[in-house]
Amino acid sequence: MTKQEFVSRLRQGLWDLPKSEIDERLTFYIEMIDDYIENGSSEEDAVAEIGSVDEIIKQIRLETAPQMNKKREKRFKTSTIVLLAVSSPLWASLLIAAIAVIFSVYVSVWACVVSLWACFAACAACAPAGVVLGFAYIFSGNMLTGVAALGLSAFSAGLAIFLFFGCKELTRLTILLGKKAFTLTGHFFSKKENEND
Amino acid sequence: MDIQLKRGILDVCVLAAIKDGESYGYKIIKDVKPYIELSESTLYTILKRLEAAKMLTVRSQEHDGRLRKYYHITAEGLRRIEEFKNEWKKIMGIYQFITKEKDND
Repeated sequence: MTKQEFVSRLRQGLWDLPKSEIDERLTFYIEMIDDYIENGSSEEDAVAEIGSVDEIIKQIRLETAPQMNKKREKRFKTSTIVLLAVSSPLWASLLIAAIAVIFSVYVSVWACVVSLWACFAACAACAPAGVVLGFAYIFSGNMLTGVAALGLSAFSAGLAIFLFFGCKELTRLTILLGKKAFTLTGHFFSKKENEND
Repeated sequence: MDIQLKRGILDVCVLAAIKDGESYGYKIIKDVKPYIELSESTLYTILKRLEAAKMLTVRSQEHDGRLRKYYHITAEGLRRIEEFKNEWKKIMGIYQFITKEKDND
């Protein structure tokens, strides 16, 4: 192999390395080859002394691999940051809208729960009120109305008990749902971060 | 030779080759080769490492119409050689211990 062939083979093999890195190494090898020639070797022999091009390329890649990965990581992070900054008006407003929607849905769910509790409260209030009214009617002679009122208050009481347990369970589930949604979004964002790393 | 051992020794061999005066790549290899195998690519890495550790300095000088790099040892480099010599005095003591014949009681 001639000196020129050696140089072009090496350049080819290290095409993706920074130019300064390639040039520096090439200067070193060319100087070595020239010194061999000066000391009596032919150009072919000098190049052969240096060693096989493929072996040299392999060794250089082994040495420079950790540097390249670090560079790639850093480059990726800076470009990601720039991209995020530039597009922020878009994604920021979308993000705010999404948060608003999620929040309003959550609030609506809680509103349902609260209104059910209100029903419970109403029934619970009806029961004693109905009893009082019922007895009032009975004592004032209105047996039928009185009994009806008592009946209704008993029904209310029953409904109130039913609603109570229902509301309790619903409240518990809603709180659980809220917690789960919170941790899910947390995982979603940390997963994204890990991808970028 | 054990590869880890070799790696530690080669650095000091290169320093020793420039200890008594500055030298250049081809000559360093020629001086070291009778004692230990040293390839051109390995030498490049060693020289870069020693330069980063401030154990040698580099300068370019014209020679026969081309540029040649000359390597010059620093005080730090000389200190490393001394350190190596002391380490090996200890190792020679250990060698005596390992190869000592069994004492007849």
